[in-house]
Amino acid sequence: MEFSNSGILFMIGTWAAILLLNTFCFFKVLTKKEEKK
Amino acid sequence: MKNSRDNWSSKIGVILAVAGSAVGLGNFLRFPVQAATNGGGAFIIPYLIAFILLGIPLSWMEWTFGRYAGMHGHGTAPGAFHQIFKKPWAKYLGSLGLLPPLFISFYYIFVQSWILAFTYYSITGKLMEVVKADKITEFFNDYIMLNTKIGPIPAAIIFFLITFACNTALLSFGVRKGIERANKIAMPILLIMGIILVIRVLTIDGIGEGLAYMWNPDFSELTNPQVWLAAAGQVFFTMSLGMGIILCYASYLKPKEDIVLSSLTAGATNGFAEIILGGTIVIPIAIIMMSNSNIEEIAKLGTFGLGFQAMPHVFGQLPLGNIIQTLWFGMLFFAGLTSAVSIIQPLVSFCEDDLAFSRPKAISTISLITFIGGFISIFGLAAGAVDELDFWGGSFLLVLLGTIQAFIFAFVLARQKSETNPNENKAFALLNEGAAIKLPRFFRPIILYVCPTYLAVLLVSWLATSGIDVLLLTNVKPDEMVTFLGFELSKITFTWGIRIFLIVITILLNLAIAFAWNSKKAKNGRKSKIKKVEIGNA
Repeated sequence: MEFSNSGILFMIGTWAAILLLNTFCFFKVLTKKEEKK
Repeated sequence: MKNSRDNWSSKIGVILAVAGSAVGLGNFLRFPVQAATNGGGAFIIPYLIAFILLGIPLSWMEWTFGRYAGMHGHGTAPGAFHQIFKKPWAKYLGSLGLLPPLFISFYYIFVQSWILAFTYYSITGKLMEVVKADKITEFFNDYIMLNTKIGPIPAAIIFFLITFACNTALLSFGVRKGIERANKIAMPILLIMGIILVIRVLTIDGIGEGLAYMWNPDFSELTNPQVWLAAAGQVFFTMSLGMGIILCYASYLKPKEDIVLSSLTAGATNGFAEIILGGTIVIPIAIIMMSNSNIEEIAKLGTFGLGFQAMPHVFGQLPLGNIIQTLWFGMLFFAGLTSAVSIIQPLVSFCEDDLAFSRPKAISTISLITFIGGFISIFGLAAGAVDELDFWGGSFLLVLLGTIQAFIFAFVLARQKSETNPNENKAFALLNEGAAIKLPRFFRPIILYVCPTYLAVLLVSWLATSGIDVLLLTNVKPDEMVTFLGFELSKITFTWGIRIFLIVITILLNLAIAFAWNSKKAKNGRKSKIKKVEIGNA
């Protein structure tokens, strides 16, 4: 079975979505100062 | 403060702990098989829809229940439900939140010990010898059936005892110094090992053919309801939902700590491990390295066959196969360790918070119970004990508790008024308290209506399609015989024996809950180490 263009598109698209979500989340987590209790 | 409740020391600590709980064998072995057999790349569409409509909302709900329970000095569902309903029966309904981790612990530690053993055999080179001799199937079967011995003692029992001791030692350090510290070390190592494996797999000649099986979309599969059911089930199981674990971990949050972003970040980390690592390593390499194999044959191997036989075999054929095997089992070991402690912690929390046990007494009690349960799995593996325990603890009760939690959140907690914010209900006041990012408004109808409906449909569909056969044992042949502790008996008799054991455990747990509340030990919960701060509607 050949790796089709739609397969490549799905893989790259899903990877990009997951990496973007992780980047957004960790950026927010790591840049927000923890409140002093 | 003597015997006070622990707290997470940092936001990243709790995120990694929740992600560590979620990332397990299912990410690396169950997900790729589910995807490849249910439409390849097209499977991602129902998977992501289920992630948004079911996974993330239910995760937020469990974090909220956990915060509410923790505010009142509880760490498990009996305490959370008692505080929400303020009715005597509610705490017994909450026992459903302790049963999944209890039942899962009976077999998970045993499976975790296999990983430790295979990591050891990879490091020593024994696994490579076995692969070269083409005897990996016999080696694995001999190991789990206790035929491989170290001196007079089966190796499986020795590794089980070592694993058991490691988990117990880790838990004895508490939430902050034990679980949080372990996850801060184990999770980065696990992810780095996974990334190295992904790079190695992607640099194999002809890997495109393997990736095609995993990612080429078959859109015709999207008209099949089973594919949607499989995607929803995968999201449910992979995120540790309906197990009482997230609730327990969230109960150790500091007051005014963020929930919305932390939950989303843990879910995203799990998604990374599942889709990018899990989706790239197993199926593509298995397809191109195993001769005459196709996706149906690979799926037939099952989780354990794939992880412990097929993967060592294919990695063993690569240059430096020994190191690749070690990376594979090392990654699984850290995934197993972080999941195992998360399974046991709710039980420890119940003993500490509601039965007012000291930590050593709580750990000893739970260790004894899980130790006995573990031996049922060890000696009853061939008879089907693990499958039966997994059905109840790892499937049925998860979906049931998840559905109940979604309905309680939407139709009970969301209808109670917040005491400090008159414009907000209790559920969303708790969820948004201290949020680094506020819950987007469009998620409210998803949480209140779509998620409970989705879960109810999932529960009914799952029962109708496969659950009912297992419940009624119609999938077992009446004349099928098994051997347990030297006794030969019918599989139906053995399975009912396991079920009676689980019923007895359930009754004893509910008696413990009754004792905890009657003796007033649980009524006020356990005090936190840090000064109590009023949150939303404390």
